[in-house]
Amino acid sequence: MQMFFQAAVSGILMGGVYALIGIGLTLIFGVMQVINFAHGDLVMVGMYAAWLLFSHFHVDPFVSILLTGPLLFLLGALLQRGFIQRVLGEAQENQILLTIGLGLLLSNTAMLIFTSDYQLLTTSYSSQAFSVAGVSMSVPLFFAFIVTMLVAFALYVFLMKTDTGAAIRATAQDREAAQLMGINVSRMSVLAFGLGAALAGIAGALIAPTYYIFPQVGHAFTLKSFVIVVLGGMGSVVGASIGGVLIGVVESLAALYLASGLKEAVVFALFLLLLLFRPSGLLGRART
Amino acid sequence: MTALLELKQVSKTFGGLRANWNVSFSVEQRSITGLIGPNGAGKTTLFSCITGYYPPSSGEVLFQGQRINGRRPDEVCRLGMVRTWQKVRPMAKLTVLDNVMVGALLRTWSLKRARALAEEQLHAVGLDKQATTLAGALPIGQRKRLEVARALATQPALLLLDEVMGGLNPAESNEMIALILTLRTRGITLVVIEHDMRAIMAVSDRVLVLNSGELLADGAPREVAENPAVIDAYLGKRVES
Amino acid sequence: MSSEVQTVARGAKLSLSAGQRVGVLVGVLWLVFALLPFFVTKPYLLHMGVLLFLAVIQGQAWNILGGYAGQHSLGHAAYFGLGAYTTVMLMEQNGISPFLGIWLGVLVAATVSLLIGAITFRLRGPYFVLASISVAEIIRLLALHFKDVTRGAEGFLISGVPVLHLGPLEIDFLGKRPFYFAAFVVALITTALSYAVQQSKIGYYLQAVREDQDAAHSIGINLQAYKCLALVISAGFTAWAGGFYALFVKFIDPDTVFGLDLSVQILLTCIVGGIGTLLGPALGALVLVPLSEILRNPKGLVQLGLVASDSSVVRVIEERFSNAHSFVYGLLLVVIILFAPEGLFGVLKRLLGPARVRQKA
Repeated sequence: MQMFFQAAVSGILMGGVYALIGIGLTLIFGVMQVINFAHGDLVMVGMYAAWLLFSHFHVDPFVSILLTGPLLFLLGALLQRGFIQRVLGEAQENQILLTIGLGLLLSNTAMLIFTSDYQLLTTSYSSQAFSVAGVSMSVPLFFAFIVTMLVAFALYVFLMKTDTGAAIRATAQDREAAQLMGINVSRMSVLAFGLGAALAGIAGALIAPTYYIFPQVGHAFTLKSFVIVVLGGMGSVVGASIGGVLIGVVESLAALYLASGLKEAVVFALFLLLLLFRPSGLLGRART
Repeated sequence: MTALLELKQVSKTFGGLRANWNVSFSVEQRSITGLIGPNGAGKTTLFSCITGYYPPSSGEVLFQGQRINGRRPDEVCRLGMVRTWQKVRPMAKLTVLDNVMVGALLRTWSLKRARALAEEQLHAVGLDKQATTLAGALPIGQRKRLEVARALATQPALLLLDEVMGGLNPAESNEMIALILTLRTRGITLVVIEHDMRAIMAVSDRVLVLNSGELLADGAPREVAENPAVIDAYLGKRVES
Repeated sequence: MSSEVQTVARGAKLSLSAGQRVGVLVGVLWLVFALLPFFVTKPYLLHMGVLLFLAVIQGQAWNILGGYAGQHSLGHAAYFGLGAYTTVMLMEQNGISPFLGIWLGVLVAATVSLLIGAITFRLRGPYFVLASISVAEIIRLLALHFKDVTRGAEGFLISGVPVLHLGPLEIDFLGKRPFYFAAFVVALITTALSYAVQQSKIGYYLQAVREDQDAAHSIGINLQAYKCLALVISAGFTAWAGGFYALFVKFIDPDTVFGLDLSVQILLTCIVGGIGTLLGPALGALVLVPLSEILRNPKGLVQLGLVASDSSVVRVIEERFSNAHSFVYGLLLVVIILFAPEGLFGVLKRLLGPARVRQKA
């Protein structure tokens, strides 16, 4: 029973980070209906950015999100403006292929620059843990979870309480209508992609102390974030938050009760079931 | 003589929304039945229910005496009932001829025979010259005709036309009306959804009026046109014939 | 699909359309490839040839589902791997001849594909793509996990290929040549099959499904049946290529034969060449295979005699660009999607121009 709680708690903590990645993806999908296959690679960029800032300038990864966030925002905006914008009207299959290509470019550029060596970002607290009621929690993951919730909350407030946020939501709900109402939908798309990338980058910085950093690390996140987005409902920020935590827990429990090597397979199986029986997810709008 | 198509208290609900409610009518062979009603009345939904796009929530759909509830659209088409789409669906990257051949291939495996059949239909709707044009390049009027030709190629007994007049100029409309009338001489039964009242009056033997999912009236065109309930449904618009 | 041959009225000169000119070009190349082993002895060249033909087979197979029917599967590695592992496991663990085993691999993949189709074809567009990835990943992870059966990440090494007895013929699969010819023939067969499908009711129906599923459904096409048909054919040939690959390279492991990288590669072959076209997979393979081989094994350039063995080119590629082929894949994808979505076939058609008509004064 103890092990169950341990696994569940670790899963929740990790799930928080997953949630952040998922929120980024769901934002992009909500506003542009683009399925961003490069999303995990954006997380990877965030991880490397945090690692560079730490190893060269001794910036703590948690502090670095003040830099990685905006940096990834810029990268996202550039990708949107330079590439994604051009295929927005076309078949979704083409969009997928484009983002796959962009992802490959990102991960391979990283490999060119950093080689495929595994890097470690070891802070003073990287391997620290504390116990609550017999359950051990990793310090960096715990704080990552806190920060994640704060960031997610900030985003929620932004979307709900600001004019720009409302414009983004309007674009996500009905692009044509939003355009007719005078909203600059291209700018909203750039914003959405930038925000999505920023969230991915921040998530990357947050888990940098606890993960191996290497060019291909993003791929696992990409697929997982799709599951999260579908689970929570495409376009639903709250849904992605809950979905992320759920997936974290499922993965953790699967590793405990089945086998570490099969935990991802369980997530994929869950994904298939979702796609078949509840494609609109837990909280999402039904797709027409 | 059994009716070709018969609906018995067909209803279709989506969650709480009643798209069709208790609709009953029958369609005789070789007749042309008009189906009218304000926007959102449930006309296209009815077509989708009848042709198997989704099953009715309750009630029965009988085609040639057989109950066809829950049959797939392709099965319904094979039985002899085919529909066109309100928002035209040309297969854009195929040529006009190839589009119609897809329809014709329902009844044959031979490309040669399918091609011959398709060319006949193109001739019937007046699209001969566009045979090698990509369907995606056609203007709306020709797309509508392509849609009809493709449906005709499946050699249906019953053709359901969904606002085939929409977006056509008066000259094109007249041509379409003429085409519809020739279809009857070919032995094809028709149910026609239309907003163009003039067209409905010109072709229909009988008119059904749908409003908020329910059948409001069912009778000869003139009766229906002067039915006060119908007039009300259209917000006091007097129907000229 | 309609005839593209245009006849000039006067003088009755037969002009070929651009598409047919590309076809002639490719036809000539096929001829060159057929005769190559008689003039060339460098084994590395033949090796590349085999990989090229395998890519064509996989491409043509994928194209039937992805190009004609428009279902962009990113999980075809599942079938490749099933073919590879079935062939190898039956040979090493059950003593079944690989010449039979490879066909059993096809059977396994075809059966599994029916199951996968039943599940995933309810999904459309990107959801189908995601589902196809998930299925392949599940299979890969299972293969990695059940080490007792598949030897897991260690991979499976086979000792050799037995002699093939075809009636009076005895074919010894030593060296590259027998593989070269076998792969060449099957590549031709799959291309011919693709042509046959294209020019048949099945081809028309699949393309209708691609263009508009609901419209296709309403004019009498059984969506599930035809999509599954395309998938079974596609999976079968992909599995054959997998089994052949295993026998040729003699070593397989889950990440290589079940990996997403492979699925992307197959898809890329068709995209680069021209998706949905008959010659697309061949053109795509012609570009991608040499490119990725050289980038993966720059020493091959030495073996081909193109560069000296101490050349800096080899060193540079090995040290800095060890993943260059993957980078190039990404670049190609982006460039093709943005600037030439019709692939190499489209580009060549434009270059070889429309039929020129010479008119007598």
